[in-house]
Amino acid sequence: MDFRTIIHLDLDAFYCAVEELQNSSLHGKPFAVGGRPEGRGVVSSCSYAARRLGIRSAMPMARAVQICPNLIILRGNHREYGQKSRQVMEILRQTTDLVEQISIDEAFLDVSEISGNKVALARSLQSRIKSETNLPCSLGIATNKLVAKIATDVGKSSIQTDTFPNAIQEVPVGQEAAFLAPLPLETLWGIGPKTAETLHRMGMQNIGDLALWPVTDLTKRLGKLGFDLHARANGIDHNPVTTHRDPKSISQEVTFGKDTNHQHILNRTLQHQALQVSTGLKRAGFVGTTVKLKLRWADFTTITRQITLPEPVDNERTILEYAQKLLKQNWNGKTLIRLIGIGVSGLQRPSQQLSLWDKVDYTRMAQLEAALHQVRSRYGQDVIQRGAQSPNQHGLPPDEEELSQ
Amino acid sequence: MKVSVLQENLAHGLGIVSRAVAPRTTLPVLANVLVATDEGRLRLSATNLEIGITCWIGAKISDEGSTTVPARTFADLVGTLPDGQVDMDLVVQTQTLHVRSGTSNTDIKCIDAQEFPPMPVPDLRDGVVFNVSDLREMIKQVVFAASSDEARPVLTGVLLTVEDNLVTMAAADGFRLSVRKAELSQGSAQSMKAIIPARALNELARIAGDGDDTVTMSLPPGRGQVIFRTDDVELTSQLIEGSFPDFEQIIPVMHNTRTVVSSAAFLKACKQAEIFARDGSHIARLNITPGDELQPGSVEISAQSEETGSSEAVVEATIEGQPVLIAFNVRYLREVLDVVGTPNVALETTAAAAPGLIRPMGDDGFLHVIMPMHLGG
Repeated sequence: MDFRTIIHLDLDAFYCAVEELQNSSLHGKPFAVGGRPEGRGVVSSCSYAARRLGIRSAMPMARAVQICPNLIILRGNHREYGQKSRQVMEILRQTTDLVEQISIDEAFLDVSEISGNKVALARSLQSRIKSETNLPCSLGIATNKLVAKIATDVGKSSIQTDTFPNAIQEVPVGQEAAFLAPLPLETLWGIGPKTAETLHRMGMQNIGDLALWPVTDLTKRLGKLGFDLHARANGIDHNPVTTHRDPKSISQEVTFGKDTNHQHILNRTLQHQALQVSTGLKRAGFVGTTVKLKLRWADFTTITRQITLPEPVDNERTILEYAQKLLKQNWNGKTLIRLIGIGVSGLQRPSQQLSLWDKVDYTRMAQLEAALHQVRSRYGQDVIQRGAQSPNQHGLPPDEEELSQ
Repeated sequence: MKVSVLQENLAHGLGIVSRAVAPRTTLPVLANVLVATDEGRLRLSATNLEIGITCWIGAKISDEGSTTVPARTFADLVGTLPDGQVDMDLVVQTQTLHVRSGTSNTDIKCIDAQEFPPMPVPDLRDGVVFNVSDLREMIKQVVFAASSDEARPVLTGVLLTVEDNLVTMAAADGFRLSVRKAELSQGSAQSMKAIIPARALNELARIAGDGDDTVTMSLPPGRGQVIFRTDDVELTSQLIEGSFPDFEQIIPVMHNTRTVVSSAAFLKACKQAEIFARDGSHIARLNITPGDELQPGSVEISAQSEETGSSEAVVEATIEGQPVLIAFNVRYLREVLDVVGTPNVALETTAAAAPGLIRPMGDDGFLHVIMPMHLGG
């Protein structure tokens, strides 16, 4: 059976780690990023030394100071956090396009298509992030997002340290339910204190109890949530890793069964590919400014040539026209061709005449735009998104740092 | 019927009414022009049942009478006649119009005037009186913004309202709105509200004469028609039924950037951009940059085409507020700049995706709203 491999990555005590980079004297000390203890400030993030003392994120700062009177309190530098976060996400995207960033310091990667040992892949990501950004992170590996995320948390908490855990936890295929079974019910998405209480009263102690509970009874008591929780407790989660990044290019290529230099075969192939690329662009709602032609000769030498157009296109005829032009310029008409492909990049949304009758409050829209711009220029592009773009639609609990935003 | 007219008067009259002729129709008489004696003048009328136009020309009338003459044949014939007198004589029995001028003798087969749709006789006492040149200016400033899309009939018309001595014309397609207000020299006793087909107003502007002439407009109750009447021309049009969208709420009430430019320089830059924009998306980008103590503000108008190339023109401007990059359909800009009529024009913008407001400087009576184009990317 086909299964996926999902990596969940979480930057360890992200804000604190960034602060330590700025000020190495903080290393190993209890400190917290957050609001002032005199007011209603809360802990956004706290160092592992502070956690050992019992300080938690979202705790009132006044309480944290009670626990640890010599707690170092930092205001936080969100611009810096945003920058670091972007660096990390960029490293992830260099590994695969299938990256779903779920908060400033967390992401899912679908690495199903990447061959090789997945733990080794996780380890190499961890060390690459360490060497390029000097930030520690923990990773969970599983066949779905739910288990991968929980794996990260379990991995982290299994390491007791005053500094960063740098955990990697794999849940092997088929072991999902067994892995979750001993964990407390609240670990699952969708179980808050109230639901947990209901389940406890029904006599359940941990996820394993929930997994074995008759699904019909759960559905009767809790409705659809009951059904969903039962699936989750059994380690089942089909949510895909959804990337909200727009694609960089749309392309088609084909390796011929037999190397060819027949003009009409090449032309027919280009025609077909131009149509496919055009259809792909239209389906995705893009136009692109650059037409690329990829050629691989019989000896495996591969060349890519491109033309940039002044106006973005999505129509088959123009794409084909330029692809043919590129072929003419770069092929002597004799050399055997092994592979040919067309791509369109420089993708953008097509221009569109806006309508007078759209019921939009332009004044409020302008104010919103201005506010968004301010937030983004301070904290980075990804820090705030429209509801429809928000990756957090699958009921993930907000992360500690997300709470503070 | 027996009449004598001057060739040039007849040609002029036929030229005016011929635009209302319906040449291809199941009702043959609509391809004809009604020719009738009328209180010492000769009346020429044509109608396509939506718009009817009548023109009165001076004539020497020997015998009263009327008929309808095939418009195309009549106009082509009159066009070939020499200057001077044209004598027309109708043989009622055969409905044959005998036309004689100089050495030429012509017989035209006509259709009985009884078959011609009756034209309403307006009661002009309750009418609203416009100065012709004012009315033509108003029409010019709004009519181009009306839609040509028959799917939304209301938008193919111009909303005309009269209240006390204030007259308002408004037209909008989906993407722009033109509103012109003016004061009447003679106040109107009654309030009026009607949606008049843009085509009828275009015709009116064409035929309404010049200078200090006046046009009287009346809306005969219960007829669904509007009638415009000058001394010697009358235009009747069916009104468009339905309710015009509440345009006042589309007009932006605030702005973040106000750009004042020379109308002529802006128009020229837009025409230049249109040369390149017209091949593709019609997009002109306006990069509006406020000035500082050292240099004036500027509007850079740019357009590009896959095939023909690209163009950029910079127009000096007085700009208050934030810089903005906004894109418009350049034809919309050009069409409004063509009619602003003042040396300077203000463009008020809020954001790249919010409507732009164009006002002639020093003329509060006119405003124009254009929706921008959303740029890809």
